[in-house]
Amino acid sequence: MEEPARAGDEEALARRALTGDRAAWDALVARHHRRVVVSLLARGVRVDRAHELAQETWARLIQQQQRGLLTELRLPNLALTQAAFLAADDARRARRESISGAVEELPERQHPVDPSVSAERRLLSEEQLSRAHAALAQVSPSARSVFLLACDGQELPHAEVAARVGLSVQRVRQILCEVRKKLRTALEEETHA
Amino acid sequence: MLKPHLTRDSAEQYILGALAPERAAALEAHTLECEPCARLLQEEALLSEQLHEVAQALPGEERVVRPARWSARYRAAGTAVAAIAAAAALALVVARVQQPARGGASVPRVLDAQPPTVALGEEEPPTNMVACPDLATQEACTRKAAERGLLVMNPWGTAEVPRYEARTGLPEGALSARQPVSL
Repeated sequence: MEEPARAGDEEALARRALTGDRAAWDALVARHHRRVVVSLLARGVRVDRAHELAQETWARLIQQQQRGLLTELRLPNLALTQAAFLAADDARRARRESISGAVEELPERQHPVDPSVSAERRLLSEEQLSRAHAALAQVSPSARSVFLLACDGQELPHAEVAARVGLSVQRVRQILCEVRKKLRTALEEETHA
Repeated sequence: MLKPHLTRDSAEQYILGALAPERAAALEAHTLECEPCARLLQEEALLSEQLHEVAQALPGEERVVRPARWSARYRAAGTAVAAIAAAAALALVVARVQQPARGGASVPRVLDAQPPTVALGEEEPPTNMVACPDLATQEACTRKAAERGLLVMNPWGTAEVPRYEARTGLPEGALSARQPVSL
């Protein structure tokens, strides 16, 4: 019953946020902010800029809601996409400033960058995914549960993961580190092959 | 002054949100001054994003996570408790039925009733049924399931059955009921 409860809670918060409820926005930001920052770091954004862009991401989403442009709110995906757009804009601006000459001479004038490609990019190939899934199948069921609860997109805090699986927070983090290690090895093996 | 370099462990702990605020702030400050450590942090962040993709790309039935209390040990204990409760209830009912109606002295009798067996059979879901509950990956999940010939159960409880087309070799319209067709 806890899974639907969490999903229902998320949906209720999203509905309230769409009506402009500030407390609902605060709860959603608190839940998903870290994931947005980490996604920006993964794109090579400096950590200080990542924090700024993450704040900007939420500001843009709230602004869109206030203008009536948001009809639905699926998090964290919407925030991740918004952050990716902002990061791409940031990179383009930095590049323009670093290159002397007219804007028309920039390569992207001839080959415009499709922002949707950078926003929705897949990080792993099918081979990498199947290798990772094979590695995941070899871990213990409890470790697998911990991994899925922590990484399935609901952004559960580790304390909540711990409560659900009946372990301590410290043990949950230890398990996550072990699973990360196994999956890192699986992904790197594929890359090297 | 340059702070100590990051280790993979500390970067991992930062990404997991397990560092104390002051240590996290020190780590962030260091990555602004040290390019190799910034790259290490990026690698860990990228791995974290990849792991989200791995988790979300798992087939629906493999992503079902049961709470700890649903483990085999708890299920066995629950079954035993239910069986004992049912047996006690039955014994009480039988004992009341066998009491003399007019209040005479009763002779204790040994009940030979067998405790009922409690059938808590867990119906296994059909093996050819999968769920695609995550809206973010629902489309890909549905497509993959259809390719594998599996039934797709969506969150509204209806199932989509893959369609198979076959050629009978009969002329077009031969199976129409509107008019007789000579075969």
